[in-house]
Amino acid sequence: MRGGLWLLLILALGGLFWWGMQRDPRELPSVLAQERRPAPDFALPLLPPYRAAWGETFRLADHLGKKPVVINFWASWCYPACYEEAPVLEAFWRRHRDQVLFVGVNFQDKELEALRFIAQFGLTFPQVYDPRGRVGVDYGVRGVPETFFIDREGRVLARHAGAVDEATLARYLEEALR
Amino acid sequence: MRWVLLLMALLLPALAQEGPPPDLPPEVFRIARELRCPVCQGESAAESNSGVAAEMRRIIAEMLREGKTEEEIKAFFVERYGEWILYAPPRRGVTLWVWVLPLLGLLLLGLGLFAYFRPRPLPKELLEEAERRLKEPPR
Repeated sequence: MRGGLWLLLILALGGLFWWGMQRDPRELPSVLAQERRPAPDFALPLLPPYRAAWGETFRLADHLGKKPVVINFWASWCYPACYEEAPVLEAFWRRHRDQVLFVGVNFQDKELEALRFIAQFGLTFPQVYDPRGRVGVDYGVRGVPETFFIDREGRVLARHAGAVDEATLARYLEEALR
Repeated sequence: MRWVLLLMALLLPALAQEGPPPDLPPEVFRIARELRCPVCQGESAAESNSGVAAEMRRIIAEMLREGKTEEEIKAFFVERYGEWILYAPPRRGVTLWVWVLPLLGLLLLGLGLFAYFRPRPLPKELLEEAERRLKEPPR
């Protein structure tokens, strides 16, 4: 009887340990996407190459409620993930720019280095500059790169942490357009 | 003169000890210590040098200046990052167990110890033996 109790205790603790080890510590849910909250608004200055087409400041609220929006947080110091996804994002944007709006949020970076990154990948979707990273806090960003998908009603549909690939972009765009 | 030198030798290291940087009030660091730095592993927003932690401290300082309470500031971060951002798990729901279990364990341990060391009546043979020895005339 006593031995059985000990065995049960050891099994229970072992099970708890095993369950804990199966969990991915990097997989942290986004509060915004979980509750499908309205995307937090922001108004940030655009980086110089985009001012001619988009104006001095970019206000998210002006663009919500029309097309789905994809917000990508990146930084030039984020190597290699941001360097891997930049060409993917650009190619996807060029192909689907009539269906979706892409916005790049340059996060806690230096302007010169951000501009060099933009030139390196020839990014044509609007890029805003957030050296303090305040908007990142509003979105609950835990690290760059992170990509948020916002549906046509302006609600956060999903968050993707880490470099994004084309299949993921296509899947969420389809979901946002539904 | 020698006393002054000695005093200085004793006091200067104490003065050099690290305190919060002077640009933000210590209250900011007290609150930041209870919040996780989102981009770090096991570091609080008070200790980390990362940009996000620095921004969190600035936000806390701004909110304090606006007259926000500590509860409101914590709620601001929970709203954005979820309860994960708090170092102390909330005292309700599943995480209530984290607070209750240690007390429960202590209680069980106390009960076990009490049961183990509880004064028990001595066995009859031992008592008889003691009685017999008492009656024996001293040698």
